[in-house]
Amino acid sequence: MSKIPAVGVLGSGQTKFVTTRTDVTFPELVREGSDLALADAGIPIDEVDAFVFPLAPDALIGVGNGERWCVEAVGASGKPFMRVNNGGATGMSAVITAWTHIASGMFDVVLVAGADRVSESGSAQSVLNKMWDVGYERPVPLNTITMLAMSAARYMHLYDSDERDMALVSVKNRAHAALNPYAHLRKPVTVDEVLASRDLAWPIKLGDACPASTGAAGLVLVSERYAKAHGLRPAWIRGLGQNTETYWMGDRVGPKVVSDHADADALGEAFWHAYRQAGITDPRSQIDVAEVYAPFSSVELHVIEAAGLAEKGQAPKHLAEGEFALGAPGTIVNPSGGVLCTNAIAVTGAVRVAEAANQVLNRAGAHQVSDARVAVASAIGGDHQFYSTMVLSSDLEEIA
Amino acid sequence: MTTRTAPAPIAVLATHELVAPREDHMSLEEMIFACSSTVLKKAGLDHSTLEGVVMSGQDQIDGRVISCMPSAGPAGGVGRDVTMIASSGDHALVYGWMRLLSGQGSNVLVIGWSKPSESVSLAHSQSVSAEPFVLRAVGMNDTIAASLQASRWYTPDAPVEDPVSWPLGAEDLPADADAVYAAVLATADQVGPEGPIAWIRGAGWSTDQYDMGSRDLTENTPLRQALAQIEQISGVPRARTWDVVEIAAASEPAVRRAAEALDLPATARVNPSGSLRERPAPAHVSGLGRMLAALDAVGKGEASHAAAVGLHGFAGQGATVMVFSGEQER
Amino acid sequence: MTAQAESGTDPAFYEQTWDLSYRHALGETTSRFLAGLAKGEIWGRRDPASGRVLVPPRSYSDRDHTPTTDWVKVANEGVIEMFTVVYEPFRNLPDPPYALAYVTLDGADTALVGYVKGLDLSDREEAVRRLAIGERVVVAFADEPTGTAADYWFEPAGD
Repeated sequence: MSKIPAVGVLGSGQTKFVTTRTDVTFPELVREGSDLALADAGIPIDEVDAFVFPLAPDALIGVGNGERWCVEAVGASGKPFMRVNNGGATGMSAVITAWTHIASGMFDVVLVAGADRVSESGSAQSVLNKMWDVGYERPVPLNTITMLAMSAARYMHLYDSDERDMALVSVKNRAHAALNPYAHLRKPVTVDEVLASRDLAWPIKLGDACPASTGAAGLVLVSERYAKAHGLRPAWIRGLGQNTETYWMGDRVGPKVVSDHADADALGEAFWHAYRQAGITDPRSQIDVAEVYAPFSSVELHVIEAAGLAEKGQAPKHLAEGEFALGAPGTIVNPSGGVLCTNAIAVTGAVRVAEAANQVLNRAGAHQVSDARVAVASAIGGDHQFYSTMVLSSDLEEIA
Repeated sequence: MTTRTAPAPIAVLATHELVAPREDHMSLEEMIFACSSTVLKKAGLDHSTLEGVVMSGQDQIDGRVISCMPSAGPAGGVGRDVTMIASSGDHALVYGWMRLLSGQGSNVLVIGWSKPSESVSLAHSQSVSAEPFVLRAVGMNDTIAASLQASRWYTPDAPVEDPVSWPLGAEDLPADADAVYAAVLATADQVGPEGPIAWIRGAGWSTDQYDMGSRDLTENTPLRQALAQIEQISGVPRARTWDVVEIAAASEPAVRRAAEALDLPATARVNPSGSLRERPAPAHVSGLGRMLAALDAVGKGEASHAAAVGLHGFAGQGATVMVFSGEQER
Repeated sequence: MTAQAESGTDPAFYEQTWDLSYRHALGETTSRFLAGLAKGEIWGRRDPASGRVLVPPRSYSDRDHTPTTDWVKVANEGVIEMFTVVYEPFRNLPDPPYALAYVTLDGADTALVGYVKGLDLSDREEAVRRLAIGERVVVAFADEPTGTAADYWFEPAGD
């Protein structure tokens, strides 16, 4: 176990996430994320030493090096500024990058702010097909839905699970999102409604899938010395981890497989990296809230397992018993409704951290988990390839 | 900003570059694998001992929609912490340095690339980097932005020969190439008796507004801000002690103006590794390439203090400065 | 109150298309694999560190970060490892329904992705049963090769 430099999340902000915004340009939307974060943190822009900008594919907003277009909008003109792109993990990788700025000892206040408007692109999935290998895979219409449909098919096969298990995730998260004023999909659904929704790519149906969201988010991170000097009480980052899986999904199956595409073993390693730093040895008893990245219902099943909140293949059993839902004993998973209800790709990982910070600060509103002290957040990028994790707590005391 | 301690010295164990006018025999991912394998070997490391990877690429130039995806594996990133810093190659080197300063492991591979030969029309692929409402309509790109900037410096007594975009001629503009640049950084305790190539003494980086109409393009504002940041935080040897400065910019006039802004000693050499034409480099990683050249000058004993400047974006919207020394002294 | 509401103007839109063209260098390993397709052959590369035969072949193994060493021809049949049937239309992607699967060919240690053709996909339950993980398929090749990975696909091995 190794302690990491103390860095806190002082404040965060989110817009309400919607399908389209016609009243602002992309930089203007970014500005909203920046302004909301600063207002929540209660500090002026002049206090910010450096900026990290999360932006996943340029193609989704239609501007190459889109970060350069947004420098003045984010408030970074004349300051250190860099952009992170780790695919879907971008938002959390950006927070880890901001943490690194402060932990290096050179900066005290770093702002992460960005936005996405996935619907700005006429066809996100056709853009996202170009993620795959130029020689071997692009002639086949892979996309983010089909890649995870295949993972779901393997999960069902290996663990004797079915589409109803996936539907339980959607039902739980939609019920949570109904309590979250920022969430995109806020209408509760039933298992039967999910099962009856139209097929996208078997076994994933519309009811199992995230929306393409537009919105902005931001976070202000501060050093321990800054927090102390100003008498501030941020949510503290206690551990973090990143890990990377092979790009080749076909290497995640077969007779000599190291980690199966049904599971998220490399994410599990990233979770345990963060847990070791935070002093977490038994996640089920020590973690109050998990805000995990799962854009499809099937993904949440194996992320719950990778996080150590269930044994492999056992997440459906726990869900069926009512666990992980607001009001249940034990760890509550995605009280915000999660990525399944809101996915503005560039900032989705940042929203996970913002939600986790709000939970441990007891400021999450209607979807607050009572007495939450320790939260874990995670994100996934690429073709289930880039993994980021983070543990937060309301104080710097030992996590027992 | 409050008081802070100067950053600990971080060593550069090895660098490697793979540059070709046009690489037809290797895929981009194979170039990355070749460069990464070589630089790790030079550093006395391999995949099993590598702790983290920082990468940089530009999706549109290479025709990869999320280019960290195919590149993380060949870079050495499977089972490792990988972060893509997409804003420019020079930012990636800065971030690798900060990763070690923050206590995240004892070594890190920084690798940046660009393979313009993948684009059928490089100018077309670059054109989408102009925002869509105004600049794309006028065809803004790096060359035109550099020309607008140079027009502010133009004096009628300097004739323009063979203009590509007035007042810049072909001799003023960078030569392109397919390139992968890599460096292995490590904490001081990882340095063997033979010593590193160089020590990183400090870095500063700043980005100005996007809108060129709101900037004074003659002022090198982001460069001055980056220098001020180095002095304030790192307190490293000032420019007047630098022996060598390697500068990446979109034009030779921009290189000259950046050098003037540095307040260098008369003996300092600017771009001894070659002019923008003599040392071909793709724009996204040209700053990283110059950082490797400055490291090389220190490693070969040609400079005791060397620095590199990466200017990126339209008319040098962003500037990164890194300072390297042969000695570890604080 | 938004600026738009203040001005009373309707929102404007500006349509832009990125019709960027690329000519990707595939490298010698991929080039040889694609040439093999024209002869009805599937080739892999051996990763010396793990002993795995990588199909599709790569000149390096990313898991071990080592160069692969030799070419291995694998069988034109194998087993479905994972699959999906796509029912949703995506712009610039084929009209649904279509089936995709990753298949480990006999002699290979990793799976190759491709279409599965020769199935009636209109009956979802039946299609999912025929595509089940563990079912065997054969590789089919295009009569007129294009020199791309579109030159092969999978078909059910038959009962």
